[in-house]
Parts: sequence; structure tokens; C-alpha cells
Amino acid sequence: MRALVLILVSICVLPFIVRPAIATEIWIFAIFGLGLNLLLGYTGLLSFGQSTFFGSAAYVAGWLLKHYAINVFLALGIGVGVGALSALLVGYLCVQRSGLYFIMLTFALNQLFYFIAYQWTTVTGGEDGMPGIPRPDFLGLNFKDPLVYYVFVSALFLLSLWAMKRIVESPLGKILQGIRENEVRAEAVGYNVPRFKLLAFVIGGAFSGLAGVLYAMLFGIVPLEAISFVFSGNVVFATLIGGSGSLYGPIIGSFVFIWLSESMSVVWARWPLLLGVAFVVVVLFLRGGVVEAWSRFWTWQSSRHKASANPSAR
Amino acid sequence: MLYALMGLGLSLITGVLNIPNFAHGALFAVGAYFLVTAVNAVGNFWIGLLLAPLGVAVLGLVIEYAGVRRLYAAGHDYQLLFTFGLALILNELIIVIWGPVGISHLPPALLRGGVDLGFTFYPKYRLFVMVAAGLLVLATWLFLEKTRYGAIMRAGIENKEMVSLLGIDIHRLFTVAFAIGAFLAGIAGALTAPIRGLSPGMGVDMLGIAFVVVALGGLGNLLGAIAAGLLIGVAQAVVAAYWTEASTAVIFAVMALVLLIRPQGLFGIR
Repeated sequence: MRALVLILVSICVLPFIVRPAIATEIWIFAIFGLGLNLLLGYTGLLSFGQSTFFGSAAYVAGWLLKHYAINVFLALGIGVGVGALSALLVGYLCVQRSGLYFIMLTFALNQLFYFIAYQWTTVTGGEDGMPGIPRPDFLGLNFKDPLVYYVFVSALFLLSLWAMKRIVESPLGKILQGIRENEVRAEAVGYNVPRFKLLAFVIGGAFSGLAGVLYAMLFGIVPLEAISFVFSGNVVFATLIGGSGSLYGPIIGSFVFIWLSESMSVVWARWPLLLGVAFVVVVLFLRGGVVEAWSRFWTWQSSRHKASANPSAR
Repeated sequence: MLYALMGLGLSLITGVLNIPNFAHGALFAVGAYFLVTAVNAVGNFWIGLLLAPLGVAVLGLVIEYAGVRRLYAAGHDYQLLFTFGLALILNELIIVIWGPVGISHLPPALLRGGVDLGFTFYPKYRLFVMVAAGLLVLATWLFLEKTRYGAIMRAGIENKEMVSLLGIDIHRLFTVAFAIGAFLAGIAGALTAPIRGLSPGMGVDMLGIAFVVVALGGLGNLLGAIAAGLLIGVAQAVVAAYWTEASTAVIFAVMALVLLIRPQGLFGIR
């Protein structure tokens, strides 16, 4: 309950602190992270190819929005469908292997989709991206107003969060957690483990697809990066830094990540270098994510206070 | 053969250390750039070809010693994030140091031009790369199969605890394996430089291919790496002749096809 209040407050406050586009991006990325977290946090599957579903959905829905002027909800529905379908294809191949092979396969198949997008320039625009994606009005709502679009995305985010909460707490969610804890036992109890992993993949893909379409409409363009491994890595980073164990982890992570990358990209054109350094530092010194860093900071602070209070103790 | 070499190095690192090495492609790219720098500095291709992979191996040593070593107890997710971060750093450093524009590099004078093979005309340098890569794969094979340390390394892939219980310094084994893997990636990069030229994106492209080789050939499986490397190399060459645009995508398509028929890879027993 407290978490929900916190989220609602931040939804209201955020557009007044940062530009609406960035505020919107944060919630879109949070939806993307929710989808990955079902795999990473709840099923124990480290997928390094989430941008496959994100990007495919963005391209397909973007193309239809641009050339056939479909309405927003149809675009979102198609995005969810494309995300789920591409996740079904990729997942079918990946769930048959586990551990390191699984990670490498998700990445390799991500590269397959990337190179298709890269070479199919007549549709995707290749390296230049697919520009000119409209944000059509719906029922008198003017989505071209950044603030209206922000409210729309926030509402969809809350809907996604609610749906994910339901999934995680459902019997299906429990089975997935059982697979994470002990795959052999889940198999022995009689669950078809690969089938459930695939299901988690498809659900995660649907969330990624939704996020992908929202992203395309936000910026009016599908950049090639949207389907590249960099995006896959970013969402893994965001989820881990927020803490993959909890439902709300990816939301915190999305905040931190978007804020971090926005402020870095202003500083230096070669900001991925700084991002890489951030990854390395987090992994080496701040494992456990933001929550742990925060508590560590406080113990450090209080110990320093104690030390300065009685210097004779040294 | 170059693919086999890349896959082999990655296979060693991944197999022995049990970590997903996303920096492998970046090491490959660094190898290529080291070569160009070394050749320009020394003025001799052969010395450069020796120095570049050694430089990458040292880089590998440092990476293992300063970073990867502290992560064996952490999950794959953090290891992945670490190596991915490293890949980003190396990739951006390449752009900072050598610039974002591709560089072309000529093979040494001795290996310019082509040879008439009777049925086709083949560039000398490519022939040299094929032979050199083949010899390197052979040398790695001999090392792994015929030397004592190679046997220990293979044992390390099978069962780490047992190896360390037998009194072998497993940490040193890890460091050595990482350095050898980095060396192989570096020399593959150095050999590639005169064929394809250099660009900052070359590492990522190669990383995907190396993963495919390992996924098909199996971890630490030498024969598998060679077979998988040849398979996708040939598939790529054939497709490139008819449909150039698809020549990279076909690698991954072949992988998907093989895995549909044999989910456990070419030689895997699951």
C-alpha cells in the first residue's frame, strides 16, 4: 500500500521536476523492466534479448501508425501481440537450454533481429531509424500535448503494474517462483518446466511490446538502438540496480537509469563510457542495488558521526 | 577458421570460469586496433602481429585479476553486467582513442596480391589467415590435449571443486584461461584487421558470432567449435554470394535451424 502511494505521488510530481518526455520515458522503461523482471526476478531466467520484443513491436506498430493511420489502442494491441509472438519464437528456442547457453542464445537471437532491422532499410530505415511516427488523437484526447501523453502512459503503467501483481501472486506466479528456486523439483512435482518458462517469456514479451510502442510514439521515431543489445543490457541493468527480487525493483531501477543516462549524455557525447563505468562500479561495490547502497550509506554516515563525536576512541 | 578461433577462446573462458563473457567481442576489436598501432609504431607487420595479441592477453589478465575474480560467487546476472559494462568501456575507449570512423589497413607487402589456385583466384592474405588460424587452433588443441596444464584446464571445465580439492590453484587456472582466451580473441582481431578494416562496431558483430559458435559447438568442446565455426563460415560465404544483405543474419538463422533440429547443439549431450 505504501509503495502504491509512493508511486502515485511520484507520478504526480515527476513532470514538474523533469521534462515531460523524460518523465514519460521513465514509466515506459518501468513497464519494460516489469516484463524482464518476471523472467529474471521470478523465474530465474536471465534474458539478454528483451529488446528483440521491444524493437519488433515498435517497428510493426510504428509502420502501421505511419502508413495506415491506425488508432492508438489498436497500435498498442498490435504491439503487445507482436511482442508476445516474437517472444514465443525466441523463447521456444531458448528454453530448451539453461544457464550460460540460455543467456547466449537470447543474445544471439537478439542479434538476428537486429541485423534484419539493420539491413531491411526500406521498412526500418536501417541505421537512421524509422522516423515520422504520429501520435493520433483519440476520443478528443490530444496526445500531441506531452502532458496528456504523460498521463496516458502513467495510467498504462499502473495498469501494467496491477496486471503484473496479479500474475505474480497467481498460481502461475508461484509455479514460476518454484522453478526459480528448484527446477528439478518443479519438474518432479509434475510441472512442464519448459512450457512454463515459455509462458513467462511470452508474458514478458507482451510487456516489452507495450513499452516498445509507447516508446516509438513518445519520440516519434524507432531508432535502430531500440532493437539492439544495448537496450537489452540497459533494461537488465535497470532491473538489477533496483533489485530484481521485488515487484517494485524495476521501477526504482528505471528512475535511476533514465536519470543517470540523461545527466551523463548532457556531460559528454561518449557517455556510454561513463555508463559502462557505472555498471562496473555497481557490480564490484554496490551489489544488491539501490536499496542496499542506501542502507550502507547510512551506516557509514552514523559510524562517521560516532567517530567524530569521541575522537579519543581511536 | 577465424570464427572457430573466436569461439574457442570464448569457449575456454566461459567453460573454465563459468561466466558469460560479453567483453569477448571488445577484446577482439582491441586486438585489431592494437595491431594497427603496433605496426605503425614498429613498422613491421610480424612484430605487430605478435605484440597485439600479447597486449590483449595482458589486458585480459588485468580484467580477470581486478574484476572478474571478485565475481565468481555472484550470479550470472552480475557477471553479465560487469562484462557488458567492460565491453561498453572498451568500445567507447576505441572511439575516443582511434576515432569513430573506420580505418583500413593493408596487409604486409609479402602477402599482397593473389594466388592462382587453378579453379579460382584467391587473395594471398586470406590464404595466410586461414593457415595461421588453423595452426593456432591446432596449437590450442595440442595444449589442451597433450600438456599437463591443458589436462588440468579440461578438468576445470568438468568439475572445479574436484580440481581445487586436488591441490591445484584454481584461481591461477582461471587467470591463465582468461588470458589465453583473450589472446585468441586478440589474435583473431589482429588477423582480421587487414581483411575487413577496423571499425568500433566490429567487436559486437563478432561477439554474436562467437556466441553462436559456442552455443552450437558446446562449451570447451574444441571439435565442436571448429565444426560450428566452419559451418557458419561456409553458410555465410554461400549466402553472401547470392544475397549480400542477408549474410550476417544468416549466421543466426543457421543457428536457429540447427537448434530446432538438435536443441543440444551439434555435439552436445544436453
